[in-house]
Amino acid sequence: MAITDISNRKKFPANGNVYLPNIAVIEKIIEETADTRTFHFNFKDEKLREQFTFESGQFGEYSVFGVGEATFCISSSPTRRDHLECCVKRVGRVTNAMHRLGVGAEIGVRGPYGNSFPLDYLKGKNLVFVAGGIGLAPLRSLIWNVLDNRNDYGNIDIIYGARTPGDLCFTYDLDAWEKDSSVKMTTTIDREHEGWSGRVGFVPQVLEQAAPSAKNAAAIVCGPPVMIRFTFPVLEKLGFTPEQMITTLEKRMKCGIGKCGRCNIGDLYVCRDGPVFSFAQIKDFISSEY
Amino acid sequence: MYRRKRKILSGDNMKKIKKKDIGKLLSKWQADFTVFTPSRATGVARMEEWDGKDTDFLTWYRNTVIPPKNNILPNMEAMFRFQKDEAGYQLEPVTPEQKQIIFGIRPCDARALTIIDMVFKDTYEDRYYLTRRQNTVLVGLGCTNPYESCFCTSLGIHPAQSADVDLMLTDIGNELLIEEITDKGKELLGKSSGLTDASSNDEDSAKQSRETAYQKVTRKLDTTGIADKLQASFEDKDFWEKVAAKCITCGICTFLCPTCYCFDINDEISKGSGARFRNWDSCSFSLYTKMPAENPREEKWQRVRQKVCHKYEFYPRLFDTIACTGCGRCIRFCPVNWDITQTLESVPEHSAV
Repeated sequence: MAITDISNRKKFPANGNVYLPNIAVIEKIIEETADTRTFHFNFKDEKLREQFTFESGQFGEYSVFGVGEATFCISSSPTRRDHLECCVKRVGRVTNAMHRLGVGAEIGVRGPYGNSFPLDYLKGKNLVFVAGGIGLAPLRSLIWNVLDNRNDYGNIDIIYGARTPGDLCFTYDLDAWEKDSSVKMTTTIDREHEGWSGRVGFVPQVLEQAAPSAKNAAAIVCGPPVMIRFTFPVLEKLGFTPEQMITTLEKRMKCGIGKCGRCNIGDLYVCRDGPVFSFAQIKDFISSEY
Repeated sequence: MYRRKRKILSGDNMKKIKKKDIGKLLSKWQADFTVFTPSRATGVARMEEWDGKDTDFLTWYRNTVIPPKNNILPNMEAMFRFQKDEAGYQLEPVTPEQKQIIFGIRPCDARALTIIDMVFKDTYEDRYYLTRRQNTVLVGLGCTNPYESCFCTSLGIHPAQSADVDLMLTDIGNELLIEEITDKGKELLGKSSGLTDASSNDEDSAKQSRETAYQKVTRKLDTTGIADKLQASFEDKDFWEKVAAKCITCGICTFLCPTCYCFDINDEISKGSGARFRNWDSCSFSLYTKMPAENPREEKWQRVRQKVCHKYEFYPRLFDTIACTGCGRCIRFCPVNWDITQTLESVPEHSAV
């Protein structure tokens, strides 16, 4: 998978000031976990609502005016255009402010930025999705995208884990995928937990036991860095080449467009050259700066 | 290496001006532009709006402490204002419309702007930077007295010659020789008065003056193969820890660096209305990359490595030019005498990765 060239990407607003956010209205809030919420929103400007397009894997810069901006992926699928979604964990100033907002509140949204999951590469392949915690958010956009074009892809394996049952995000999606006979869904939590009768074990271990075949397959991985670090070796053991392992990286960002400087890994900027990378592209940096 | 894009116009257009008439010239320009000149009014040498009379800088000025990037990418600038009314949030962008002249910019600092232009033009145009850049005329002034810490000539920069300015001035004693470099410069000359034609003698003394300045830059740095050497030494933690040992991560080397462009974005609010600002930031600080659970550059040596490698390895790979002009500020103003040339000269030889 080569680095996607984003220079010809559609920009919103076209030819405009890229730092100027578009106003969007929160339409629905879903309590995912104690500290994580999904926001459904739509642009206030009807024309923009119609024109706006994005691809799975891209992200936006979200404003709470007076507090600042933060970076989240677009967690909904481009195949479902009723509204956009982002999933926000309460960890800092902007995310806390975001959690204080209610339905009807206005936020600012810039984007979409970054490259996207390589659909052309994934088409016709068996897909193995490996996610941990809120790391399901970007993969979820791709999973729904794939399921809405089910015939274009082979087998679908989803392995998703969280620390406790209460930390599982998108449980309504997990239910739906569980019921979908064309999907092999495995949900796991890190340690035994009262009332949990499902699978227990860390994501990389569960992946090793599930042992999906690497033949004509691609693995798409997203989760906390520690999970990613332990998942790649397991995939390697299962026969996946670095080219077949795809992930989306998280870095602190401000501009989202390759200018403010902080999200680089060597000469790659996660915002501009990523956030989607194959393991082949980043493996040299995994030990040191990622 | 960096390749010149602009052609220096022919010598037929050479003019000159008496140093004592500079005030008149600046006054004339003030009719159409905000004119910035070197100033020590704030206690720190920087390009400040000209007060209409003081031309003493022609005697004291060697280079500013705060680089002229501050006049294109200000250390703090409002990007837009916002207000909330019944209809919701209203945003009002702030556009930098002021037409400005930076008088006396040194060739190193002018090259720095050419270098960081590449970032602000790349993929997504940065309106704030590019508008200000477009609205700015650079009047360069050749160095006559470089510092010991200067090493511009090792980066392919001439201390008294520049293709990165619009007009270039050379000290020839009681007068300054004026070269047109760009059409923008030519246009400014058309709005000028008090100029006389330069003779071939004047051009000879300018040549002499430039040559003398070049010879005065004695600090040398061999940059051959530096990007590859740094790449091969990226994982050499011992080396980077040694290099970073005395750094106190104050960030001054980045704030005063003419090619450092990193910024932060923040909001200010009072009584329902507010503004979004951007301000300089620095890779010297651990907060710069701090994420809720992890920080890829938590350690000081990782941040020093980022600074050095960004300028001498990553930037050349991305834009085909080293992001350093040898202006020497990071050496002159470092409180613990950290020296980038020493660091670069001590990069160990590792076999290529």
